[in-house]
Amino acid sequence: MTNTKADIKAVSNTARGNILAKLKAEVNGADYDKLPKEIPYDYPEFSREENLAQFISELEKNHAQVIKTTKDNMAEVISEQLAALNITKLLYGDNDAHREIINALNSKIESQVYDFSIDNNKEMLFNECPAALSSSRCSIAATGSIVLWPDENEPRSLSLVPPVHFVIVDANKLHADFASLITAQQWQDKLPTNVVLISGPSKTADIQQTLAYGAHGPKALIVLLINI
Amino acid sequence: MKHIIEEESKYAASAKAFRANVTRDLGNEELRSNFRGAMDYLMDKRKGAFSSEEELEVLREQCKLIKQRCLAKLPHLLEQLEGNLEKNGIKVHWAETITEANEIIAQLIAQKKGKSVVKGKSMVSEETALNDYLEERNVECLESDMGEYIVQLAKEHPSHIIMPAIHQNKKQVAKLFADNIEGFEYSTDVDTLIQQGREVLRNKFCQADVGISGVNFAVAETGTLCLVENEGNGRMCTTIPDLHIAITGIEKVIEHLADVPPLLSLLTRSATGQAISTYFNMINSPRKPGEKDGPQEVHLVLLDNGRSQAFADEELRQTLQCIRCGACMNHCPVYTRIGGHAYGTVYPGPIGKMISPHMLGLEATTNLPTASTLCGACGEVCPVKIPIPKILLRLRQESVKPKSQQPEVMKGQGAGRNNVEALIWKVWAQVHKSPKFYALSMWGLTRFRFLMPKKLGGWTSVRTAPKPAAATLHERINAKQKKAKQEKQSQHGRG
Amino acid sequence: MQQLNTQHLRDYPKKPKQVYLFGTCIVDSFFPDTGMDAIELLEREGIEVIYPQGQSCCGQPAYNSGYKDEAKAVAMSQVKQFPLDIPVVVVSGSCGGMMRHHYLDLLGDDPEINNFCQRVFEFTEFLVHVLRLKPIDQGPKERVALHTSCAARREMGVHITGNKLISQLANVELVIHDYESECCGFGGTFAVKHADISAAMVADKSKHLVATDVVRYVSADHGCMMNINGALDYQKQSLRGEHIASYLLNRIKGNSSKGSL
Ligand code: SF4
Repeated sequence: MTNTKADIKAVSNTARGNILAKLKAEVNGADYDKLPKEIPYDYPEFSREENLAQFISELEKNHAQVIKTTKDNMAEVISEQLAALNITKLLYGDNDAHREIINALNSKIESQVYDFSIDNNKEMLFNECPAALSSSRCSIAATGSIVLWPDENEPRSLSLVPPVHFVIVDANKLHADFASLITAQQWQDKLPTNVVLISGPSKTADIQQTLAYGAHGPKALIVLLINI
Repeated sequence: MKHIIEEESKYAASAKAFRANVTRDLGNEELRSNFRGAMDYLMDKRKGAFSSEEELEVLREQCKLIKQRCLAKLPHLLEQLEGNLEKNGIKVHWAETITEANEIIAQLIAQKKGKSVVKGKSMVSEETALNDYLEERNVECLESDMGEYIVQLAKEHPSHIIMPAIHQNKKQVAKLFADNIEGFEYSTDVDTLIQQGREVLRNKFCQADVGISGVNFAVAETGTLCLVENEGNGRMCTTIPDLHIAITGIEKVIEHLADVPPLLSLLTRSATGQAISTYFNMINSPRKPGEKDGPQEVHLVLLDNGRSQAFADEELRQTLQCIRCGACMNHCPVYTRIGGHAYGTVYPGPIGKMISPHMLGLEATTNLPTASTLCGACGEVCPVKIPIPKILLRLRQESVKPKSQQPEVMKGQGAGRNNVEALIWKVWAQVHKSPKFYALSMWGLTRFRFLMPKKLGGWTSVRTAPKPAAATLHERINAKQKKAKQEKQSQHGRG
Repeated sequence: MQQLNTQHLRDYPKKPKQVYLFGTCIVDSFFPDTGMDAIELLEREGIEVIYPQGQSCCGQPAYNSGYKDEAKAVAMSQVKQFPLDIPVVVVSGSCGGMMRHHYLDLLGDDPEINNFCQRVFEFTEFLVHVLRLKPIDQGPKERVALHTSCAARREMGVHITGNKLISQLANVELVIHDYESECCGFGGTFAVKHADISAAMVADKSKHLVATDVVRYVSADHGCMMNINGALDYQKQSLRGEHIASYLLNRIKGNSSKGSL
């Protein structure tokens, strides 16, 4: 064991120099224009209905609950679901649409907006927030994935820590697959702190290949699908 | 300045013990049935994951070319990645050896006065034996992937790169929990077990001050660290604690964000047959002003540990195409029989046989490249089309070539060379390239077949010995032709 | 770099007048009947078979053991034995894979080597794709299993042709055994160097074959059969494997098969 500590900055610098030098010695003078052409698989085009059906079926296969609803009905649906789950509190991300829903929720439901820093509120977040409501940016039909684009109003842990996650998905923002989504929205130009694709409640098959839901993240993912 | 004293990987010793490990694990009925069951399940899952053979083949070809392109540009992409990560506020560190990587991480934790670490699944941190290193420095390190957690409780190592606790069945896990978790009542119900694990680990996520994770893809173009997972523990480790340290091998860098979808799609489908994992987590920066969660600091440690050695040889470089899906082990008849621990290395199965010699040297790993029938089941399923059997052949060549032969391609070259064996092959070649010698030796073999021993080492412990024929095919054909000629001549004479 | 899954896609020539036979060293010294039967089968189809007496071994044993130079010397000597521009028919998928694919790697991609490699055909592949053989089955009704060697399957892609030939036999029912595509555990020196792993593998393979309750299993590789038959014999099982050349010939001639050990 070391008493005086090695200077990790110096270690890293030396390592960097050595590694890059070794690698560069091998690729020096390589002509990258001569690399073989990469041909992606040409997936057939699907209609909006087909994409929607695929999206729902993939999510359901992965034990997500998909509820087709409307903007006006969402509060009612959430109220019902929470009642069925015996949950009386909902954490939500701060935006107008959510506030509207929250205002229309069953009055027995306590709501809390995620407007606090996680730093001093971890215990509360982990132990006193049984359900959360978030929005989504868009979704992917092929794999039944919902794209979350967290920001200051919808923190990352909103969709992670509470055991039940309600997420609003707009059917008009459904993309066929991940590749076409990235291209269509030119993701490489601007990415937020974190992007996450969610395709079901958290799960594991680590014990004897037996699937169990609710590993570390939400046990339930309830998708509120609107604008169908 | 104090230099880092390099420690030998603990896996060198266990890899050297391969033969003994194999004997131990082949004899363990329960272990063997656990593996057979698990591999059957995983093979089945993969099979059902592709719409057509054509889709699979086109994707494999594409992904192979993507990885080959990224490797062809590797040093430049690493620089680009570093530049973009730093621009995004993520600090980048480089390490040539496992001890350097461990020391960097230990000091990053110390600087933040970190005491408790939660880890997402990271095979690279297994490679560096990070847990041991931190624990020696009084930092508690808890594995949070369910499989890794089980393995850690059992004081073992992962036996599979995707499913770390695949060697245990639920009864074994139940007993483990009952013995180690206070208040847990023995149950073999998997849901109960997982809920128990969840409870313990959620408390830890809530308290830990450091999260450590691996990386599946590091995107150079955007400075993005991508993580593939189902459980949510990866997201926990990278979201909840104040400090997030990611560690990965230098080969994980890819050029474009657009390279991600095909690789991701093949990764999850090849690994577990999933169209996509439950979470695909793309980390671009630490918490920004105004944001309410996420780590204040994010670091990436880039580890070499023998990878640049593989890189230096064009054939062996293909090893680095690997995206760690585990399909090669799932389909390997040897892995299925001996399980993951017998290899004694971090990475078991075919990928382990290819990569471990670069990490540990051929001295410690001489037995790995030979422990294959070259059946090709691995190469057939590898999503990035690494010609695994060919690479094993190449490693065998490096292993038996004279120690002094130049150029030295690998650490430990010639470690498997045995002078008697080398001489036998020399003689063998002389015999088989000369028709005369060959005929003579075959004549001897068939004429003296009664001398053929009834016992032939390991061969006859489960089989009878083959018996040479009375006459060789060469002779039989000769005789046949002679006879035909004579018949022809006698016909001719009469006519 | 060869690609495992597509490398066996190839154009096949028209039926030739002459072919070479590469007998393989195992057949030469242990199972010459197979070679004789293969020749008879080809001759029945009107093909003249040339068996160069200078042939020995494809070089695979040394190649697979890492002794590249030794393998190279032997491989080169073999190429020289087959100078005419006619097919080289090999009665083993494993040796066939060596000669068709690995020679390029071993001997360099020059025109002579390339031409040679292009002319190499595995036996069943040749029967199906070049001769377009439709065997007329004269044998009694029976059930058989088929074991395809890993090289035949994954390097040559000829598991399909073996299957096709057996399936065309009117009185034969082909029974698929469990884990059909799994390796039997032979692997040349592997069976000696890692005898215990090999033993575990052949134990499973023989168990799965026995479970089909057939009297014969057929294979186009004597390497695997030496392994599997040896294990079956050791276990005192009556099941035996027979080379597909002999099996087909016997079916066509209406003889009952015998199995080789
Ligand atoms: S070598 Fe290929 S099959 Fe094996 S883990 Fe790597 S990518 Fe997967």
